[in-house]
This record gives sequence, structure tokens and C-alpha cells, in this order.
Amino acid sequence: MKKYRITINGQSYEVGVEELGVSASVASVPVAPPASTTPVVAPSVLPAAAAPVAAPSAAPAVAGATTVKAPMPGTVMSFKVVQGQAVKKGDVLLLLEAMKMENEIVAPSDGTVASLRVPQGAAVNTGDPLVDLS
Amino acid sequence: MHHGAFARHYQHGIPIDPIRTVSYMDEKLKELSERRAKVLGGGGPKRVAAQHEKGKMTARERIESLLDPGSFTEIDAFVEHRCTVLGMSEVEAPGEGVVTGYGTIDGRLVYVFAQDFTVIGGSLGEMHAAKIVKAMDMAVKVGAPVIGINDSGGARIQEGVDALCGYGDIFYRNVKASGVVPQISVIMGPCAGGAVYSPALTDFVIMTEKTANMFITGPQVIKAVTGEDVSAEALGGAHVHAATSGVAHLTYPNEAETIAGIRRLFSFLPSNNIEDAPLVASSDDVARIDAALEEIVPESPTKPFDVRDVIVRVFDGGDYLEIQPLYAQNIVTCFARLGGRTVGIIANQPKYMAGVLDINASDKAAHFIRFCDAFNIPLVTFVDTGGYLPGVGQEHGGVIRHGAKILYAYSEATVPKLTVILRKAYGGAYIAMCSRHLGADQVFAWPTAEIAVMGPDGAANIIFKKEIEEAADPVAVRKEKIAEYKHNFANPYTAAARGYVDDVIDPAETRPRLYRALQMLLGKREQGPARKHGNIPV
Repeated sequence: MKKYRITINGQSYEVGVEELGVSASVASVPVAPPASTTPVVAPSVLPAAAAPVAAPSAAPAVAGATTVKAPMPGTVMSFKVVQGQAVKKGDVLLLLEAMKMENEIVAPSDGTVASLRVPQGAAVNTGDPLVDLS
Repeated sequence: MHHGAFARHYQHGIPIDPIRTVSYMDEKLKELSERRAKVLGGGGPKRVAAQHEKGKMTARERIESLLDPGSFTEIDAFVEHRCTVLGMSEVEAPGEGVVTGYGTIDGRLVYVFAQDFTVIGGSLGEMHAAKIVKAMDMAVKVGAPVIGINDSGGARIQEGVDALCGYGDIFYRNVKASGVVPQISVIMGPCAGGAVYSPALTDFVIMTEKTANMFITGPQVIKAVTGEDVSAEALGGAHVHAATSGVAHLTYPNEAETIAGIRRLFSFLPSNNIEDAPLVASSDDVARIDAALEEIVPESPTKPFDVRDVIVRVFDGGDYLEIQPLYAQNIVTCFARLGGRTVGIIANQPKYMAGVLDINASDKAAHFIRFCDAFNIPLVTFVDTGGYLPGVGQEHGGVIRHGAKILYAYSEATVPKLTVILRKAYGGAYIAMCSRHLGADQVFAWPTAEIAVMGPDGAANIIFKKEIEEAADPVAVRKEKIAEYKHNFANPYTAAARGYVDDVIDPAETRPRLYRALQMLLGKREQGPARKHGNIPV
């Protein structure tokens, strides 16, 4: 295991990086979420060297969770749900303006809204995570 | 001749051997019934029980429940393998692990084969394949559909290249029968490796949830080669193939519903390429006007609606069978009936991804269109699409090549082609969705139709670029120009003025208008120049 020291916002962290063989498999395996005390703020602000560590935290957090992704490029017009809300399969989660249409993005299964991954008004691309369901 | 002697030596006019005794025939019949019982028993009570425990029927039970009661006639029950190597000379395989024959569904002839997982895992060897091949050859000869039920561990390894020969023989016939008789593949167990390509070559793949799997390389091989950990269900289960890969056209939660689903699909299909699908009488009046159709398209052009709300109101009894309902949901493909006659419907789905055309939607529609054309099923197309989906992923994925399939399939089709433009039909997507230019026989437009070279926003930005830029209030002028363009060009009348649209119709009259057009087109004959075959961009 290699050790790195990373400085974020003036605070330094020590992280360990372990190579697990084929890199593709690492990214695709859902990993348990970092504990809430983990000081890593958001994957986007991490320096490149920490990428292998940061990648799993960008994946869906809870085991059995579903991440609803953008089916096409567009703009998030409005969310129809709030964090913590229980939803049923087929409920509208948000409106995505794309291809000049207000597209209803619906829940693929029953669950609870764990988090809204983008702010309202955000421009998203195909495959970008929008809502986490648990 | 003495009357008594005649009575002794003839029975029902057939001469009988005076030496032959009754017990002689009894013995022969006993042997026959013993041999048949052995075949009927498949892999024996233990394996049959194991099959049932998995929620699976045996091959024979599946055939019995699929066909009209008592209509099944088996052929090749006594076929045996002739492999003697690797311990196979001692292995008995009653029925060779596959049940084949013919029967009827709703009184119509059909050929069936069902692999028997209880007999050495339904593995495919030389003679197993030979039974399937014979059934397929017979089906093509008499013009009957083929339904194959797959439940097999794969190639019988002991038989080596003879097993490969078996698969190859089946693939070859799948292709030769394609477009001659409908071929339906049903997956009710494992179907792995080369075995997947027979279903893939047929017209419809139907899978049963939880018990059916399809993949080229299984989880173990994938783990060894790429390190990916994946279960058989997550890799090639019914849901994956219905929603993600598009391999499965229909899926059902259990075998009984799967069987009912096959029968329902069958009811829409003709038996071969020179017959029409059976007419099904309906109490639904073909002249029925439905004012509710006027309420479906929302006033705002950016609001979606479910195109299936249109379909249920137009076709006989609101009854339709959606094909690939979970795959590329931005386009709907389904069978329904109009005046009792089967039609194939292709419709953009504004409710899902703005009804855009993309790689998967193109593949889905093209396959469906070509099936309908091959089997004399008229096409009805409903148009409301946001256009072709932009994105690097689409372009690099080959949307040019895949998107071309829709154009090809529509242009190639010689069956009656009817098109109804509901709302947005812009640019290339307008052309692609069975426009007059691709040979549509009748094109109708609802008054809500917007048919133009591109959307008002984009068009105004280009055409009035200078005026907008030089205006004191560019935002207001831009808005004004968009409205102007929309009013002048984004309507059905510009296209109708050229005759590209045959008529602009009241949505309420869609059913009678389509019915009359279809009746008018029943005698349609269209023949192109002789050629070996075209070259669809695959």
C-alpha cells in the first residue's frame, strides 16, 4: 500500500492507496460510504493523486441504493421531491428540460430519496447522477 | 370358399396369419409402450422433481400447455445419440434431450421443439440437433411457424465437433427460415455460449424471469478474464435483456404467464410470408369517432404525453401487444388490430426522453419494421419526436450507422405504410419516421403537427441572426422571430401544400381515416428491381 499526503483547503490528510489489480473492477464495485467524519469534502476538489481513493465515494453510497442518472443532456428544471421523502416506482423525481421537452424523470423503484446530486438549474450530461434512492 | 374359413383367416377384410397368435402382438405392443414410457419419463422422477422445484415445467409439460389440448404429435421420440467415446456408450438419453413435433395454437399449425433439461442437462449433441433441424425443415416446407423452447446446459462436450455441427446446422436453418415462417424463441432456463445465437437469429426472444439466463460467456469466465464479479442474473437475466441489452422482446414472471404470452403474440402473426395474419372480429366500430383524442396533445409544446393513450383509442378494443416495452422506451413498437387486421405500430414516445431517436430506438424500430414487412403486416407510424439525440456517446456509438437502419427499413418495406404526425416532426427525424419521401402511402397530420426543417428556436437564430444581433432589444426580437417562424412554418399546412401530407385531420377521426386508408391499400403491390438482397447498414 502506498501512502500519500494530501492537502485540502490548507488541511493535510494522509491517505493509503492500494492497487487491487484490474482497475476497471475497482471503480465498478460499490463501496461502503466513508464515515460521516471523513474529512473528504467532495470528490471534485481532490487532487488527481487521490483519485483512486475518491472514486468509490462518488459511487452510490448505500448498498442496495439506486442512482437515477440523466438519460440525455439537459437542464434540471425543478425537483419534485425532497431529501428523505419516500417515493413509489413511477413517481416523478424531477423535470429535466432536454430536446425542448420537460421530461419527467421517474423513480425506477420504490425507495427513499437519499440525496439530490445536483442543484436546480444544473446542466447535466448523459449518465450524470441526479438522485440517489435508498 | 367355405364361409367359416373366411371368417377365421380374415378380420375387417385384412388377411391374418393363422399361425400368429394374439399374445405375439401383445408382446410387440408391450415393448412399444415400454419404450415410449421411457422416453416420456425424460430424465426420470428425481430429475423431474428437481426441475419442478426450480419452478420449471418439464419440456413435455411446456409443450402440452402451449398447444391446444391433445393437439401435439411427437416426432423422433426414439432418436438416440451415437456417441461412444468418453463414457457416452453407457449413457442413456431418452428422447435425446429434446422433444419435437407439431400441433396447433388456436387451431393453427405450429412446429415446436423443447429442450429437456432433465436429460443430461438438455445438452445439445449431434442427434439432439438433428431432431430440431428436422422439425424446422418440416415447418418451412409446410409454412408453419416454429417455436423453440430453450433450457439447456449447452454443447454436449463429449460429442466434440459433432455438437458444433449441430449448432451450426440450426443457425443455418434459422437464417434460411427467416422471413419465410415466424420464429419464436422461448428461454426458460440456461442458454449460454453459442446456443444464444439461435434465439438471436429468430424473430422474437421471450424470457421467463429468474430461471432464464442468456450470455456468450458466463460469470466464471468473466471473473477469470476481466476480474468483474457478476451473478448470472445480473449478467444475462430476463430483466437485463429486456431493459438493457434489448435481446429479449418479451419477459414474464413465470412459465404459465410466458406460455400465455406466446399464445397472445402468436395470435397477431401470420403463419408464413404468403399468408395474412388471422382476422379477428371486433365489436369496435371502424367508423368510431373519439373526441378524447383531441385532448391528448398538450397545449404547451414542451409538455410530454403518453403516445400509448393515442394507440388505445385508435385500435380495435384498445388492445395492443407492446414488443420490447422496457428497451429504448423513447420509441413504442406494438401489434394491434384495425378492423380485425393485424397492424404493426411504431410510435415516438414523448413521455420518455422526449421521444428522441437514438441508437437503441433505431435498432428496435428497424427490427420491428422488417419483421412486419416480411410477414405482410401493414405499418402505422405515429410521429412526435424531439429529433436525433445529441451527444458524444451517440456519435461515437455510431448513431449515423444505426439511425440509418430506420430509413432503410421503412424505405425497403412494401406493405401498406400509414403515417400520422401528431406533433413535432423536424428535420432528419421527420424524414426518418415514415415520411412520404420514404414511401409512406398515406400521411395524415393532426392540426397540432409541426413539420419543418428544424425547431423554431434554432431556425430563428440562424435565419434572423443579423436582425436579432442588431436589435435594440435582442431578447425581445428573438422571441418575436421565433413566434413568427413558428406561425409561418411549424405547422402541417406547409407540408400539406406540397402534398407531402395527404390530409390534415381532426384527431377524433383518426380511427376511421386509418381504417379507410388501410382498406384502400389492401391490394398494394410494389416490386423493385431484381437483386440478390440489399445491404442494410448493420
